Amino acid sequence: MKPIVSCRGITKVFGKGELAVHALAGIDLDIMEGDFATLAGPSGSGKTTLLNMIGALDHPTEGEVEIDGLPLRGMKKSGLSDLRLHKIGFIFQAYNLVPVLSARENVEFVLRLLRVSPAERRTRTDAALAEVGLQGMENRRPSSLSGGQQQRVAIARALVARPRIVLADEPTANLDSATTAELVDLMFRLNQESGITFMIGTHDPRVMQHSKRHIEMTDGKIDSDTRG
Amino acid sequence: MLASLAWRNIWRQPVRSILSLIGLAFTSMLLVFMLSFQLGSYDTMKIGALGLFDGFGQFQPVGYDDDPDISRLLPEWEAILEAVEIKGVDAATPRASSFAIMAKDETSFGAAVIGVDPAREPLVSNLSTTIIEGRYLAPEDDATIVMGEGLARNLGLVLGDTVIMLGTGNDGAVAADVLELVGIFSTGISAIDRQITQMPLTRFQETYNLGNAVNVVAIRGADFKGVERAATDLRAHATENGVVYLDWKELQPELEQMIILDISSNIMFYIIMVVVVVFILLNTLYMSVLERTREFGGLMAIGMRPRQIGAMVWLELIFLSLLGTAIGIALGAALVIWLEGVGIEIPGADEVMAQWGMTGRIYPDLSFLSATVAPAVIVLSIVVLGFIPYRRILGLEPVSAMGAA
Repeated sequence: MKPIVSCRGITKVFGKGELAVHALAGIDLDIMEGDFATLAGPSGSGKTTLLNMIGALDHPTEGEVEIDGLPLRGMKKSGLSDLRLHKIGFIFQAYNLVPVLSARENVEFVLRLLRVSPAERRTRTDAALAEVGLQGMENRRPSSLSGGQQQRVAIARALVARPRIVLADEPTANLDSATTAELVDLMFRLNQESGITFMIGTHDPRVMQHSKRHIEMTDGKIDSDTRG
Repeated sequence: MLASLAWRNIWRQPVRSILSLIGLAFTSMLLVFMLSFQLGSYDTMKIGALGLFDGFGQFQPVGYDDDPDISRLLPEWEAILEAVEIKGVDAATPRASSFAIMAKDETSFGAAVIGVDPAREPLVSNLSTTIIEGRYLAPEDDATIVMGEGLARNLGLVLGDTVIMLGTGNDGAVAADVLELVGIFSTGISAIDRQITQMPLTRFQETYNLGNAVNVVAIRGADFKGVERAATDLRAHATENGVVYLDWKELQPELEQMIILDISSNIMFYIIMVVVVVFILLNTLYMSVLERTREFGGLMAIGMRPRQIGAMVWLELIFLSLLGTAIGIALGAALVIWLEGVGIEIPGADEVMAQWGMTGRIYPDLSFLSATVAPAVIVLSIVVLGFIPYRRILGLEPVSAMGAA
């Protein structure tokens, strides 16, 4: 199995001199195709920073990140945007949906950026919304959806472009227990059925229960990396 | 996609957008009205000043404008009258003029004497409409004269009195005549009312020994702009006849200078209005950009390029400015169209305006220029300054943007 994500010697330092904060300290990590990995650790352990590096949202101070064999170092902003668009799906704690677009339009938006034809856009959007159980709510705007429903829209948006990996940063932090359980089941099912690689930053034990691989971080370092 | 998103973004804060639109629309409406009013007043001024006497244009012998000597003549003026066949020109009239001493009993005053064709002159000049006593010259008149009320008063003349005219003829001989005062006019312009007299052209030619020649041919059209548009053809017609054509700017350079001065001072005011509204709108949008920084970070994360986000925001600015100015143009045009019919009374300005042959009522004139130039400047300024938020968005990094408050 080949790695979708490969990190070698990743360090990230915020600030300079005496104020410098070492968020990541020499991370070596491979995320394999089909992984359903959870990334856990206390606040400030570097989970989000590492996800940002892997998601091509931020640059490491040192080290190299490769996504699907493509090194990120030296890529221009537009190249990084394209890489995120084609290869990475994001699920955020705050959903980050576009408030003026309906659920359907939010999902379809990514396909528009990919210049997918209207007919195919419709088919794939409908399929993605059905996959996350949002039939009948396609035309509702985020403000009229519950937190769980908004996160489902975000999952559909993350999946609709058929990315190589989905990165989720605390996706259940704002949700109640029942909704959390539903969403974790949903992501796990998508991983099992479609083979989509998931990497989830969380400290929610209900999410970790489902993980096939669990990575524990402390002080910017990987403490443990276990497969269950 | 970007356009649709931009349009919806405008309405996510409807109160703010409506307030921006009201500001834009009101400014545009005001600018359309003010420009129409200004340009309309110039037209009224030109028609008033030139229509009263000079005409909208004149054919003259070469050099006559600099040295209006009676000996500079147009012997073939009948051919020049064919200018009425040029599109935009409706009437043409020949004139001859000189200066003379006007005397009654022991009183005498210098005056300009103009020989006019009584049939054609009223088609070019409004002077005949300012008669306050008696009548204007008639085609069958011979030894008659009309003069301004100031001159008549100074000479102590009443209708039916005879006045002795003493001047110098074309041949240098004395040009003397006795004329009956048949009409007194009052234009409201004291210089004209104190100095101008008119008499039948044939009598003038005889008295001043001009033969059949005249000094100028004045023209007029139903529409001032029509005569302006015909300037090239009129100049060609003048060249064909070996004379020169003078447009209104050459006939009344002081009027043109006054208009230019007025435009210059008003342009400063217009620029201030445009700058204020553009920066208010830009500030509103910039605040909106700052508020949405987190959202832009999210959009960047899912693969939208910064320049696409910047273009979307730029479109929001363009849509808002186009909509606001379009409403302003519509409201401004409606206001001007209504005022074109009823005019605007300027209280207390009668005397000042009378100098330009105008009454105290001004009629704005809606034109493509007056309706579009100021709103176009607003839109263009906004489009150009839209680069400021665009540039800010280009500089955003996804992580810091998503972390923005």
